[in-house]
Amino acid sequence: MTVAAGIGYALLALGPSLSLFVSVISRKPFLILTLLSSTLVWLVSLIVLSGLWRPFLPLKANVWWPYALLVLSSVCFQESLRFLFWKLYMRLEDVLDSFADRISRPRLFLTDKLQIALAGGLGHGVAHAVFFCLSLLTPAFGPATFYVDRCSKVPFFLVSAIIALAFVTIHTFSMVIAFEGYAKGNKVDQVIVPVIHLSAGMLTLVNFASEGCVIGVPLLYLVASLTLLHCGKMVWQRLIESRNQSGPTLR
Amino acid sequence: MDRNQQRPRSSILDSLGEELIGILTPVSICMFTVVLLVCLLNSDPSSSSFSSIATAAYSETDSDSPWDKLLGAFLNSLVFVAAITVATFLLVLLFYLRCVTFLKLYMGFSALVVLANLGGEISILLIDRFRFPIDSLTFSILLFNFSVVGVFAVFMSRFSILITQGYLVVIGVLVAYFFTMLPEWTTWVLLVALALYDLAAVLLPVGPLRLLVEMAISRDEDIPALVYEARPVIRDDSRLVQRRVWREQRSNVNDDDVENNVVRAEEEEEQRSEEISVPLIDSSSSSSRPETFLEGIGLGASGAIKLGLGDFIFYSVLVGRAAMYDLMTVYACYLAIIAGLGVTLMLLSVYQKALPALPVSIMLGVVFYFLARLFLEVFVVQCSSNLVMF
Repeated sequence: MTVAAGIGYALLALGPSLSLFVSVISRKPFLILTLLSSTLVWLVSLIVLSGLWRPFLPLKANVWWPYALLVLSSVCFQESLRFLFWKLYMRLEDVLDSFADRISRPRLFLTDKLQIALAGGLGHGVAHAVFFCLSLLTPAFGPATFYVDRCSKVPFFLVSAIIALAFVTIHTFSMVIAFEGYAKGNKVDQVIVPVIHLSAGMLTLVNFASEGCVIGVPLLYLVASLTLLHCGKMVWQRLIESRNQSGPTLR
Repeated sequence: MDRNQQRPRSSILDSLGEELIGILTPVSICMFTVVLLVCLLNSDPSSSSFSSIATAAYSETDSDSPWDKLLGAFLNSLVFVAAITVATFLLVLLFYLRCVTFLKLYMGFSALVVLANLGGEISILLIDRFRFPIDSLTFSILLFNFSVVGVFAVFMSRFSILITQGYLVVIGVLVAYFFTMLPEWTTWVLLVALALYDLAAVLLPVGPLRLLVEMAISRDEDIPALVYEARPVIRDDSRLVQRRVWREQRSNVNDDDVENNVVRAEEEEEQRSEEISVPLIDSSSSSSRPETFLEGIGLGASGAIKLGLGDFIFYSVLVGRAAMYDLMTVYACYLAIIAGLGVTLMLLSVYQKALPALPVSIMLGVVFYFLARLFLEVFVVQCSSNLVMF
């Protein structure tokens, strides 16, 4: 709609991640590298998925079940990739710990591990926002705007930016939950992350109904706030635990 | 109460990977500026006729068949790579004959031409695009000042490092923007051809760049080429270690006096590498060479990483050409190039000798561009236009 609107949509989708980046991630160069590698991993996963689904595209316009199949297969693939990502991270942690021992510095603190998980999740969120929202924003910088039939009250760019913001939140914090769940062997945390991802993906299918985005988007934000709450509770508990463990020795 | 016990000990995560970020930041800035310029100044591709040595053999028109275009692109790249090879061998010959003053003067002259000529052209295009009110006298004075400061920045060794780095990035942006105006097929085939040439020139025993690097190491001089040097990271406890590793490296090459080596190390630390690539005929050294490295994976290094300006230019050309198609390919190519650069730097810390920085990044970039264009775009547009996301 103009440059101002285009920048506005971009900031709507990526504003919180930009502030997270500036305040937390840009302080430590290693986290920037983690973010870049995480974004690369999820880009590769998107390319593989698009390669697998290419023979079946373009899908028919008004039928919703091929999209359900697409979302299901993509979420399963990405969740298995998340587990592999965690395995790679474990090996990296060993390398970093042995490096720290060699130069006689302290090993990774709990906050370090949480920050690395946060950077990884932010990479996932940024990859989603960039490829599903930002890359389609080019027409928004011009003089006109675009409406989709199924969601005719709001410009298409605005709706996709809002949905992208929800997904950025979900991806960022579910990575923290997943890493802690795999590290501690906590079954609840391990299962809840794929469930959140799948339910968020399926909720976007509600947008298929005419004016479905009026229901779909608030429900999506409900899932995002649930993720945020669960992650916050889990991190708080961990920090209290570790402070209790190391508290008495600080005298 | 002892104050040391209360201060929390700093974690290794605070400073790990600083050198990599020191190289990634200017590369990203250069690519971002070129994409911005391409998006702002996107002229009709058929109307801009850009003739240089890279289009001498064949100028592409829209009406040719794909096979003709491919063949023409091959011919163009062959001519260009041959020109670069000849120019690089000439550089090696001059360096061998110790005509260093001539080389430096020529490099200063080239910097002046790039900044004044190409910089002036792009400024005029931008002024035209934004209807910026400025008169020609003011413009020529500003351009003159800008170019002269730039020549001094790349020429003199004791200039402020931030300004020198800024001017090197600006030179990279200007040359890269003009390379993106080449026809499309020629650009892609040229990039692949240059990646292969870089591989051959740095790794083969008769390669000109390898000869140059070996001569420079044996004489303990800097290569006369435009090289971007990231600001060296001096940690509080590692200054001593840095000197020690300098000494070890030098004593491996020639059995000099220990005193001489320490003095040389101090001199080298302050010396800046100067000169320029020939405009539109890039003969700059496209290799990256470590000064000092401590640990295996290259993240624990406390020396400066050097990257040739030709690498900046061709990464930005790839991303700029991707920007002419769509922004999605830009992001995919950017991530591919950064990944390639990371892989190259990691190989650098393993092999500890000059490595070509172009091949891995360019190959990954080209592969990701075509994958994104053919597969990813259809998939993502299908999903997002129906507001289905995951």
